[in-house]
Amino acid sequence: MRSSFTSVLSSKYGIIVLLGLTVLFAFIFVPEFGTVNNLTNIAIQSAPLAILAIGQTVVIIAGLIDLSVGMLLGLIVVIIADLMQGESSMTVVAILAALGLGGGVGMINGLLNNLLRIHPLILTFGMLSILQGLIFVYTDRSVGQVSSEFSWMANGTVIGVPFAIILLMFVALLTSFLLYKTRLGAHIFAVGGGEEQARRAGIMTGRVKIWAFIISGVSAGVAGMLVAGRLGTGYPNAGVGYELDAIVAVVLGGTSLAGGRGSILGTIAAVFVLGVASNILNLMEISSFVQIFVKGLIVVIAILLNQPKRIIAS
Amino acid sequence: MSDRMGAEIDGVQTKIWRWASSNAIWVVLALLFAIAALLSDAFLRPVYIFNVVRQAAPVGIAAIGVTLVMILGGVDLSVGAVISLTAVLTAVLMDGQIANIPLAVTVALAAGACIGGINGTLIAYNRISPFILTLGMAVVVTGMTQIYSGGTARGIVSPGFREFFNYRIGGIVPVLALTFLGLALLGVRLQQTTKFCRNLYLIGSNPQAAELSGLPVKRITIFAYALSGLMGAIAGIALLARSGVSSTFAGRGLEFDVLAAVILGGTTFQGGRGGIGGTIAAVFVLLIAFNLVNIVGLDYNAQLIVKGAIIIIASSAYIYFKKVR
Repeated sequence: MRSSFTSVLSSKYGIIVLLGLTVLFAFIFVPEFGTVNNLTNIAIQSAPLAILAIGQTVVIIAGLIDLSVGMLLGLIVVIIADLMQGESSMTVVAILAALGLGGGVGMINGLLNNLLRIHPLILTFGMLSILQGLIFVYTDRSVGQVSSEFSWMANGTVIGVPFAIILLMFVALLTSFLLYKTRLGAHIFAVGGGEEQARRAGIMTGRVKIWAFIISGVSAGVAGMLVAGRLGTGYPNAGVGYELDAIVAVVLGGTSLAGGRGSILGTIAAVFVLGVASNILNLMEISSFVQIFVKGLIVVIAILLNQPKRIIAS
Repeated sequence: MSDRMGAEIDGVQTKIWRWASSNAIWVVLALLFAIAALLSDAFLRPVYIFNVVRQAAPVGIAAIGVTLVMILGGVDLSVGAVISLTAVLTAVLMDGQIANIPLAVTVALAAGACIGGINGTLIAYNRISPFILTLGMAVVVTGMTQIYSGGTARGIVSPGFREFFNYRIGGIVPVLALTFLGLALLGVRLQQTTKFCRNLYLIGSNPQAAELSGLPVKRITIFAYALSGLMGAIAGIALLARSGVSSTFAGRGLEFDVLAAVILGGTTFQGGRGGIGGTIAAVFVLLIAFNLVNIVGLDYNAQLIVKGAIIIIASSAYIYFKKVR
């Protein structure tokens, strides 16, 4: 008995339709929205969260969850900024450090997950606390300075297209390839869909989970590079709250928290729905307090519209 | 003869292990307490112990409510935001006047129960993940708190409010600690005796069967979430009584401390298992661990590292005790 409009909204492509509607609304009612400057801004501001959320999508498809990514991002921002001290010669080292640190912590998450068999939510929450402690043991104020190359990565454009968006597209294509075209990808879906069956089918489920956590950690590394470039310095609180925003985006994008199914495209669309909405509210000069409230309402309403129609076979 | 002896010893060992595995969290608590007492005499002083209980009150009270929701197979991540909201609400409504205390407390409790009721209603009548719905609700409530308070700490705590809750009966037991212990005992008692709580376990272990056998699943779900919201509100008032500060972010992140305690206490995401007793033990495990870190003399940043490690190690130890037979 649903009208066709709500059935489109609640379909698999609901979040993309919602993004289209939000952008359409913005173009019609908010004149400043359509300027190149503003659109570039939205893209640059949304890219780090989108990259982080792509990594989270992979972990959640595998039936896991990773709360540690926000603080991991923060730790990476602080360390690479301190490493560079504004020197261009350190750019490559910083990039390697960001990816290595991200992948390394992801791997530790994966190994501990397999070894200890505690719920990944609790494991990565513990890791969140450990990483937060490490950040503040390292420094309690902003340290270092990023190189000019890093500032360009976060803020620069290539023939009018922000580099951050190119990087986002690269990460999205690479992850999609990994998920849909490789054996590891198929195994990630299988483990998330039912670990026991996957194990009986001969999949090394432990190894698959380690890879899922590594992908999430590396995504925090890439996102951390962009955040560092935007801030220009190593701000210890840079990553606070990112993990929850990422999880919200993943779920809004149609990925099931139960694991086994999900979509990268949906996740990216969800990040931009939230980004565009907060941009519109900014342009309409609505206070940031009301913005938080509205953001929460969008999340709740989108979840209600986007709920799964069938009970997942347990 | 010797065979029988062996069997008897085996029997005793099995019994001990069975007891240890079904009360794993209490074993962990006892071990930790023993270590704490060895490291510092303070842990043997009643005043200090009850101070730990007083510290535990906000997270512990909220954890009682979340345990009920998780037995049902749900989860409530909005408690942190509810704690912030109700702490601010209580402080602003008190406005430094003793006469305003009843109004302030009533409104705060009603607000908490309302938010919980909305959570419960949306979850009962839709097929959505409670994890993400309550996460979204947390954002909504945080926004409301910010709008209401204008983003800064507002409101004045009435004289006598903090003094009452922190008054030590007989010079030892603070009223706040007593409140927490009272609520915990009440929770455990209700869990063992009421039909409502038995239904929570039934729904949690098999929702379809519960629905088919005619249990009022929707009504029970709504009531459980409302209770969780109510406990969140009491926790908010407890936090205000303990700290006296009504910061708009007072409860930020507490939902995960609460969740860590509930899961550590043996209540699972799948529902149908666990209970309030385990949760309370887990709250103390976590808190004694932090106090221990304090006594050893590490600073706050190092404490965060240890806190994370303890959450991971204690959860693992718990699972170990559960598995070994």
